[in-house]
Amino acid sequence: MTADPLDALRLPVVPVDPRPRFAAGLLRQIAAATGDSADPAAGGADPAALRDNPTVRYFVRDLATAIAFYCGRLGFEEELVAAPGFAMLYRGGLRLLLSVSGVPGAGAPLPDGSVPRAGGWNRITLQVTDIVGTVEALRAAGVRVRADVSAGVAVSQALIEDPSGNLVELIEPAAGYRERT
Amino acid sequence: MSTVSVRYIVDDVDAAIAFYRDHLGFNELMHPDPAFAMLTVGDLRLVLVAPVPAGHPGGGSRPMPDGTRQRPGGWNRFMLEVPDLEAAAAKLRAAGVVFRNEIVTGIGAKQVMIEDPSGNPVELFEPIRPEARLQGA
Repeated sequence: MTADPLDALRLPVVPVDPRPRFAAGLLRQIAAATGDSADPAAGGADPAALRDNPTVRYFVRDLATAIAFYCGRLGFEEELVAAPGFAMLYRGGLRLLLSVSGVPGAGAPLPDGSVPRAGGWNRITLQVTDIVGTVEALRAAGVRVRADVSAGVAVSQALIEDPSGNLVELIEPAAGYRERT
Repeated sequence: MSTVSVRYIVDDVDAAIAFYRDHLGFNELMHPDPAFAMLTVGDLRLVLVAPVPAGHPGGGSRPMPDGTRQRPGGWNRFMLEVPDLEAAAAKLRAAGVVFRNEIVTGIGAKQVMIEDPSGNPVELFEPIRPEARLQGA
């Protein structure tokens, strides 16, 4: 059989994750915008007319290192990188903004001179299916574990740090525990 | 319904519930313990926890193994999109909400930071470019 002469011109097919939750959120926003109020949260809350796809901003010291950590270790996808000060990542329905401390934009000093920086205790929570195995794998990869796996009321949890010292909480629901909503 | 979970450490869970409910439109999903509550808005689940002692059944806000206590504050925060930032800010300011800065215009959005009663930041933003909107790419 002769090869298709167009084969040399064909580009490799790159699989694209359709991000079904984003699609669902977008459809709800369209419905809300067209007056078909399918999402009560979109129009109810005043002053904040709130939308889907929650966004969290983390401050980091080095953009490339942070992107490598979140994409390489925690399954985030890179959506936009505006080096040296900003990147936008996604994981499921979460949009994570990385802003570099001291860089103009969100990392710029405030009027009182204080500079936004990494750290603190507030954190995103990522659900995993095997928290013990996940934490061990991360530890083996050199990720700093601030608090090892411990059992709470409904979940087991652990705290890891990104390269800037920001916390990420990993949780695994306890056996028999189901979300009520 | 919530797909994204964020944990904030607060000094007073009841005061925090009132703040997020009354000023920012969150709904209370559960408040089974004085040190724990779960709120939702849209696809965001906000878990509010007060620091608890090491023996407390709630695991999320216990001290670290080295004894370090978890505290409110820091700069990392979740963000809420509003259609009219000036109007939202004016309303919040009139209600006595603490602002950490004035409205600033960035590349993709106008933004401002407010604080909850424990001093945790919340960022409000109004997109000025379509790709900054919360619609995915």
